[in-house]
Amino acid sequence: MDERFSGFGAFILYTITAGMMLFILAPLVLVMAVSVSDSYFVTFPPQGFTLKWYAKVLQDRDFLEAMRLSILLALGTTAGSLLLGVPAAFALVRGNFFGLAAIKGFLLSPLIFPALVTGLALLQILTKLGSQDARLNLLIGHVVVTSPYVIRTVVTSLQLVDENLEDAARTLGANRLRTFWRVTLPQIASGVAAGGLFAFMVSFDNYPVTMWLANSEYSPVPLVLMRQLVNVFDPSVPAMSTIIILMAMVGVLLLEKLVGLRRALAA
Amino acid sequence: MTTSDDAVAVLGAEAPPAAWRGSRWRLALPVGLLAVPMLAFLAYFFFYPALGLLLSSIQTQDSRGIIGRPFTLAHYARLINVELYARVLWTTLRISIITSALATVLAYPVALVMVKSRPMITRIITLIVIAPLIVSVVVRGYGWQLVLQNGPKGMLNWVLMTLHVIDAPLSVLYTEAAVVIGSLHVFFPMMVLPLASALGKIDPNLEDAARMLGAPWWKVFLRVTLPLSMPGFVAGFTLVFSLTAGSFVIPAILGGASAIMLGNLIEQQIFVVYDWPFGAAIAVVLVGLVLAVNGVSMWLLEGRRLRRPD
Repeated sequence: MDERFSGFGAFILYTITAGMMLFILAPLVLVMAVSVSDSYFVTFPPQGFTLKWYAKVLQDRDFLEAMRLSILLALGTTAGSLLLGVPAAFALVRGNFFGLAAIKGFLLSPLIFPALVTGLALLQILTKLGSQDARLNLLIGHVVVTSPYVIRTVVTSLQLVDENLEDAARTLGANRLRTFWRVTLPQIASGVAAGGLFAFMVSFDNYPVTMWLANSEYSPVPLVLMRQLVNVFDPSVPAMSTIIILMAMVGVLLLEKLVGLRRALAA
Repeated sequence: MTTSDDAVAVLGAEAPPAAWRGSRWRLALPVGLLAVPMLAFLAYFFFYPALGLLLSSIQTQDSRGIIGRPFTLAHYARLINVELYARVLWTTLRISIITSALATVLAYPVALVMVKSRPMITRIITLIVIAPLIVSVVVRGYGWQLVLQNGPKGMLNWVLMTLHVIDAPLSVLYTEAAVVIGSLHVFFPMMVLPLASALGKIDPNLEDAARMLGAPWWKVFLRVTLPLSMPGFVAGFTLVFSLTAGSFVIPAILGGASAIMLGNLIEQQIFVVYDWPFGAAIAVVLVGLVLAVNGVSMWLLEGRRLRRPD
């Protein structure tokens, strides 16, 4: 323990911190525990051990279809928000024009706007436009909510790039594109990767926008899971949830490896 | 920047022409154009729809479901005057304020430990705080449903009864308390991270100085650490408040019929009642609430009213 904390103050700090760690982990651990419970209803304490619920989930066509849709949607969203967001971040950091601050505020505004309202507004406009393809509508909605994350992480990493290196490359004869590709991009690669990973995870988990734009034919994972919570009472729901928890853990570890979590999130 | 343009010219490369270096505008304009696709996309799929929603909130819907004139503020009046709806508004405010306040009180110790402990402990706490952030909100709501389950089979009740803390099972699920607990779980990282980053920026010498001058730990915290961490507090409070007020999933799973929030009311009005103008009006009120809180917090942060150097 650090010498900064001592006596009663330290006791309070560490007790609350430990309590909060327990608070954060308890529901997730419980979900994982009941997913292997060998009874036909979700009960506490869990009884026995079985993997049969996982077998059931992995044969559930609705769930698999939702997984496929969610992964494709998240990949498309990642590509879309990177294509739009990375150049925009460049403009924000390197540009020097009138109204830059206002434009930055505008580009980041979907972050503070309640996503539920973003989705509703989009539903209204897409209905008016006659856009019937739920997959396209979902892609548009997800890019709206994920692009600010990409802009934020890429802006942060661009601010750390040493412009002298670019000047040097240009002086030595590299053109703009080559300079970007060989000098700038390697320096911001982790920021771009973190932004992309964020976009993927936000899209995969998004409920408030998805709720409005999905239909019965194209329902991503969060919607299917929500439906299952209401209708299914056997441990296949915790089994599905555990699969999602494990996927998220992989995402977190990737993020930690790529950029370090605090930096990625504090951006 | 004093790159020798002559040297560049001699090398004959495709280097920036001298004029570009001199004039900021010429250098800036092409770079600025890179933002155009993103701007156009958001203008069309975010800004324009938001205005459309604002418009339909003051329009009327006829019996065939077509929205148009005359303009009216009746939908807003309805939200305030009909007791059922007004109660949802108050519930939303109450849950959001209680959640943010609880998050603040509980996040301070965690952020302090996170910033000032050995790297190993910091790392573990960071991982535990952040990991759930990425786990689906639906899954976390479900987890809390299992923990708080009413009756002796719920985990919380089972543990408390086994330890003989209580004799009869508590009924926490489907109350406001359950929604506060779930929201706290979902949005806690949004409080810890800004707090930790604000605490990390405080010069440790200030606290050392206070300590050496004889201040006890709580006085150091109240007089030095707390005031200097205000920017993180304001940012965190704003985030948690905004996100809780706009949430849908947690109240839907944990609140049941007794703790409906604005988001759930909007969904109900659109998908069940098909009352678009009223749904839009509630959405506008929700946005107004969130923007107001964000506006106050910007005013506090940008004006640096929180960073008095004394």
